[in-house]
Amino acid sequence: MAFEDVWKKISWLYYQYILVTALYMLEPWERAIFNSILISVAGMAVYTGYVFMPQHIMAILQYFEMVQ
Amino acid sequence: MTESSANKPANGQVCHRVKNGVKPGRNGFIKNHHHYHHQQPMYCYPEDKVQHTTCNGSSGLGLYSRPFIESFEETPMLVAVLTYMGYGILTIFGYLRDFLRDWKIERCHVAREREEQRDFVPLYQDFENFYTRNLYMRIRDSWNRPICSVPGAKVDLVERVSPDYNWTFDYTGKVVEGVINMGSYNYLGFAENTGYCADASAEVTMKYGVGVASTRQEMGNLDRHEEMEELVAKFLGVESAMAFGMGFATNSMNIPALTGKGCLILSDELNHASLVLGARLSGSTIRVFKHNNMQSLEKMLRDAIVHGQPRTHRPWKKILILVEGIYSMEGSIVRLPEVIALKKRYRAYLYLDEAHSIGALGPGGRGVVDYFGLDPRDVDVMMGTFTKSFGAAGGYIGGRKELLEYLRSHSHSAVYAASMSPPVVEQIIASMKCIMGEDGTTLGRDRVQQLAENTLYFRRRLTEMGFIIYGNNDSPVVPMMLYMPAKIGAFGREMLKRNIGVVVVGFPATPIIESRARFCISAAHTKDMLDTALSVISEVGDLLQVKYSRHKRLIYDQIQD
Repeated sequence: MAFEDVWKKISWLYYQYILVTALYMLEPWERAIFNSILISVAGMAVYTGYVFMPQHIMAILQYFEMVQ
Repeated sequence: MTESSANKPANGQVCHRVKNGVKPGRNGFIKNHHHYHHQQPMYCYPEDKVQHTTCNGSSGLGLYSRPFIESFEETPMLVAVLTYMGYGILTIFGYLRDFLRDWKIERCHVAREREEQRDFVPLYQDFENFYTRNLYMRIRDSWNRPICSVPGAKVDLVERVSPDYNWTFDYTGKVVEGVINMGSYNYLGFAENTGYCADASAEVTMKYGVGVASTRQEMGNLDRHEEMEELVAKFLGVESAMAFGMGFATNSMNIPALTGKGCLILSDELNHASLVLGARLSGSTIRVFKHNNMQSLEKMLRDAIVHGQPRTHRPWKKILILVEGIYSMEGSIVRLPEVIALKKRYRAYLYLDEAHSIGALGPGGRGVVDYFGLDPRDVDVMMGTFTKSFGAAGGYIGGRKELLEYLRSHSHSAVYAASMSPPVVEQIIASMKCIMGEDGTTLGRDRVQQLAENTLYFRRRLTEMGFIIYGNNDSPVVPMMLYMPAKIGAFGREMLKRNIGVVVVGFPATPIIESRARFCISAAHTKDMLDTALSVISEVGDLLQVKYSRHKRLIYDQIQD
């Protein structure tokens, strides 16, 4: 039952995303192109953050002289 | 967004900001809010253009005998940004699709030139149709829906499906019945196939036939036409009137007969295409003043009189002000008392297009002149259409006898157009008699009152729900803002799924981000129908998240005027 509600909520959120970005008016293959570009860019950003975040955090802490 | 003392509310009353920064006190604004503004909610967004113009009759400065409440809430910034983003994404995909069509990867459905003529001067302007090809076509199923019954309060639609994303339509053979009609201009409910008007039209068809086979000047002037014109003149309170077969043609063919080179036309920013076309065809100089803005109009009149014609500085032969009674895309009502005061002061002529307001405003249904309680002889040319409130087709012009005699011989539409068809004429006569009360019943008066009640109720409920509604509180045209392009199509489709037919409008009829759904209230709508429609609109509004209004409206009592 809870899974139904969650699924409905996610479905509604996806519908809002589709409406706001005007993907609602596009054909399925166009939506696929846009979604894949968006997910790949977002994925790349997350990966970059994961790889470089420790170095950046150490650099900030060293700048503020909190750790040598 | 600084809060100056002019913007802060004084002892808890409504704070209002006069449009265009002019100090309150000019143009008949009297700050006399005491007697009814206590009940109104406080909403203090200084950037919103909410107008409360009241008038205390005894003060003598007042031009308005009743409150003039208009609101045009400003677009929320986030919504505007997201709308532009949506259009940007659609444009990018439009370019992609055009590229695919150009390189023949995809089949092209639009009109193209033949291969052999590719190097000739192009016939079809490809880029101008970019919007039509790539944006309009995708949601085209919300428009041009075929109807197969009389467009009254409920209508039957022919069901259609599209296998190729709206380039072609197939009819399934089924009919969607009983769709609540919120889109027809059926203000007084005269679009019906039973009743006194329909019977009279049927009788006249039996006697006169349907076609007239001539123009008015040759052999097409029936006695029904003469009777109709006399009735129209009596209805409006003018000396004489004349009717034409098409409302658009009334404007576009008669303005060239009234003005010419050396005349000045001052036209409102949001005038209808027929007025704009008529003004351009006339060859006069056209100057556009800001929508319903009396300061802008007065400044233009003063400039025109002081400076005269552009290079020679000779005085203008005549100055004609073109305004409409109700602007159908905004739902706003013209500030007629002020326009007439300006016209008299600066000796200009006034052309009032009452296409949507005749029959729909005023205690007697006589239009915007009746609504403000003014004298119809102050308006030089009163034009209107029979399409909206009378359930017929055509347009009319009313005014002084000399003007009408001149127009009968000099107007293109009068000389060349075929006469109006007898059943249509009879429908006009019957409905007008009904509104005036001359057929012995109170049906007309009841309908006018019903329309006013329906309008007030519908607008109040929609603003309470949190939608952004434009326009005057008394106008039966209710534009509801949607803004985002995908929501235009989604709204139309979702409403039809739930059996309500609405008209959604986007660019180019409106500015690009201000797309809207336009409801037209009818006297034929019962309260149950309106309640059903309102609950469905609320449901769809929640589904689509179009309740953008930032004003927390409290439920307040209606002001009885």
